[in-house]
Amino acid sequence: MTTPDPMAEIRASFFIECEELLEALQDGLSMIDDGATDDETVNVCFRAVHSIKGGAGAFGLDELVRFAHRYETVLDEVRGGRLAPEHDALLLFMRAADVLSDIVRNCRDGIVTDPDAVEPTLRELEALTGAEEEEEEVCDFQPMTLSLDIGIPDTVESDPTYEIIFRPEPELFQSGNEPLFLLSALKEIGSVETECDLSNIPDLSELDPEGACLGWKIRLTTDRGQSEIEEVFEFVEGLCTLKVSESNTAPAAGLVAIPGLPPLEESPIDDAENETVPDQRTQSTDTPVDISPRLTLGLPDAPSASSEADASKTEDDNSAGLSTSEKASTPAPTPPKPAKPPVQATATKATVRVDLERIERLVNLVGELVINQAMLSQSVTQAGIPANSPVAQGLEEFMQLTRDIQDSVMMIRAQPVKSMFQRMARIVRESSASLDKRVRLVTVGDTTEVDRTVIERLADPLTHMIRNAVDHGLEETSKRVANGKQEEGCITLSAAHRSGRVIIEVSDDGAGINREKVRTIAEEKGLVPIGQQLTDAEIDALLFLPGFSTAKTVSNLSGRGVGMDVVRKSIQDLGGRVNITSTPGKGTCFSISLPLTLAVLDGMVVEAAEETLVVPLGSIVETLKVRHDDMRAMGPNTQVLQIRDSFVPLMDLGVELGFREPREDYNGSVVLLISLEDGTRSAIIVDTIQEQRQVVIKGLQDSYGHIPGIAAATILGDGQVALILDPVDLMKNATGKTRSTLSQLELAG
Amino acid sequence: MSAELALPARLDLPAAKPLAEDIIALRGKDIRVVASDVTHLGTPGLQVLLAAVRSWEADGKTLSFSDPSDSLTEQLALCGLSPEALSTSTQEV
Repeated sequence: MTTPDPMAEIRASFFIECEELLEALQDGLSMIDDGATDDETVNVCFRAVHSIKGGAGAFGLDELVRFAHRYETVLDEVRGGRLAPEHDALLLFMRAADVLSDIVRNCRDGIVTDPDAVEPTLRELEALTGAEEEEEEVCDFQPMTLSLDIGIPDTVESDPTYEIIFRPEPELFQSGNEPLFLLSALKEIGSVETECDLSNIPDLSELDPEGACLGWKIRLTTDRGQSEIEEVFEFVEGLCTLKVSESNTAPAAGLVAIPGLPPLEESPIDDAENETVPDQRTQSTDTPVDISPRLTLGLPDAPSASSEADASKTEDDNSAGLSTSEKASTPAPTPPKPAKPPVQATATKATVRVDLERIERLVNLVGELVINQAMLSQSVTQAGIPANSPVAQGLEEFMQLTRDIQDSVMMIRAQPVKSMFQRMARIVRESSASLDKRVRLVTVGDTTEVDRTVIERLADPLTHMIRNAVDHGLEETSKRVANGKQEEGCITLSAAHRSGRVIIEVSDDGAGINREKVRTIAEEKGLVPIGQQLTDAEIDALLFLPGFSTAKTVSNLSGRGVGMDVVRKSIQDLGGRVNITSTPGKGTCFSISLPLTLAVLDGMVVEAAEETLVVPLGSIVETLKVRHDDMRAMGPNTQVLQIRDSFVPLMDLGVELGFREPREDYNGSVVLLISLEDGTRSAIIVDTIQEQRQVVIKGLQDSYGHIPGIAAATILGDGQVALILDPVDLMKNATGKTRSTLSQLELAG
Repeated sequence: MSAELALPARLDLPAAKPLAEDIIALRGKDIRVVASDVTHLGTPGLQVLLAAVRSWEADGKTLSFSDPSDSLTEQLALCGLSPEALSTSTQEV
């Protein structure tokens, strides 16, 4: 367990947890926004902020603690029903969640958060609850105890007292937990009396500095239920001995007297003093508590109070008999008030955090395995081993297993797009606020899983598309109202799996693309010849041209020098395609189609001029053989191929890649029909098709930079390196800027 | 002659072992443990200090715990301890 710096690791895992908590917070807020009014949803939000605050305190992240504390206070007001989460308040909560996540990230990266980014939100939060004293966090350990007149106990609303016996195991420290935080958390939910059990402290020479020899006995008076107390210890389950039981008897004698504190047995305890009055917060509870069952409570504890000498032993016996999994099993004798409805524990699946590097290594190894398996099967074939031999059959099973392993490994890297969608929700909030538009983001298919590298690299282009949708896609509010639309614009962000790819769509219910305007601008900028016939799809595609911007004034949102051309480039780099559909008056939809992973690819292995190449299967529509009659000359150097009732441009792969000169006769050649981004098709001539198989992608970008027409490389079964084609890029480079000017093509003639 | 030992800012798990070694090295002497720099108390560190007190008491030597900050005193209180618990009862102040 010894690592160079365990604290750094613990700190890192705190920030990872923060991300999860922030996600839960966002989820909760969206649910409230969608009309969820149940206490649990508010509780989830509260707990998320609370946990962040707790952890931040432990690491001394004061700015984070300060903000989280204020935020938590407001959420507590909501939780207590004293503050209604109105629309405006909810927007503030969402903004506060954004600020909170900024502070978390800044703390993680060691950046000091700009007060200007925090203070306004902080002040707004304060305005909701009224002024609050700055020094709320004073560690006021001593519970306030009041002597009550024994004659009037039934008029006092009092909360039950729980006795908690808590004894950490060494693993608790090693996993980065610290009892002090737990004790502090207990103090937050009620009034505590803590006794530290020093009986197991050995001589220093015998002490294992990483062992555990302290224990605690805590008497907690709180209005929370037992389950909520146990929740405090949720993260140390299995790492400590824990016993929570309800008790209203005097603190059992027998724990070792602590120097400096008066021994317990010396303090005269009578029934009246036993009524620990909780602090003001818990006192203000308006749930009347029936205290009568307390009269029966002495019994279960009676043995432990029998004698001073036996007591600590009894406690040990109790704890020894309690396996950690049984910790909750100690029944609370007749709870004095009905327990809160059980927490709606959404069945969380057990997860384990794994270093990304290890996964990358595994992915690489599996890649090697796939290559190795391919080599093995090639050797088996070459050795002339018959297909029905045990070797060949075993190999068949081995191939299947390899494929399964590969799929499983890819699944490890897959992540739901939800975290990215949540980031987009923030972009919508911020950009709509700065443009003074009311915009609602609807997300669909949050749970769709995509390779995390794809998600990471998609964030920037998607951010830009969302900003564009808010800025250009949606009309001004006044215009919307005039057109009979809802004042609030709606942007829908959806993700779905479709035939081995993931489709992400950004659509708005705005005015749609003003094609006339787009065309005029393109003509003004010389992007298209004036007066050229253009279809709607061609006009829409102009948006992706470098240097195109329709915004009359460069707003601070879009127009940051990042155009849609860059967006399209980033998506293409991911092996993706982006399409636009737009209906005037109804809105625009940008649809991105992406591969599920960047690590493997289903490809068709082909040969051109004695070179082996791989064409991504996803781009191939069909394969066919060329007959001489189907070819038509088009200009001096180019030809088109007739496929049924249409003509498609034709290119020779070997010529395009500079492997050889055009052939005299293409009769009988194999043609791959490739589908282009805008739905049009092109035909690529290859010499032969070898096979269709899954290949492991080995990037070339790092070593060679971008090679036109080539996406990456792979290693084939015979150990040979084969280039993986980027057909779209290949066609684009071959056809020049406008596809229709085929004369630029150096094609077979 | 009493030796003086300044505690590090964090008394957490990584600090516990070096701390125990530092204190053991001073065994047999009266020592003054200066806590003014401590900002973060951790149970592993606390255990070492408590074990030291026990050992020093057994040896009949004095271990005095001095200058705890307010924050440290608060953290000790959370554990149900007062700063006095970290000094030998035979100490002469």
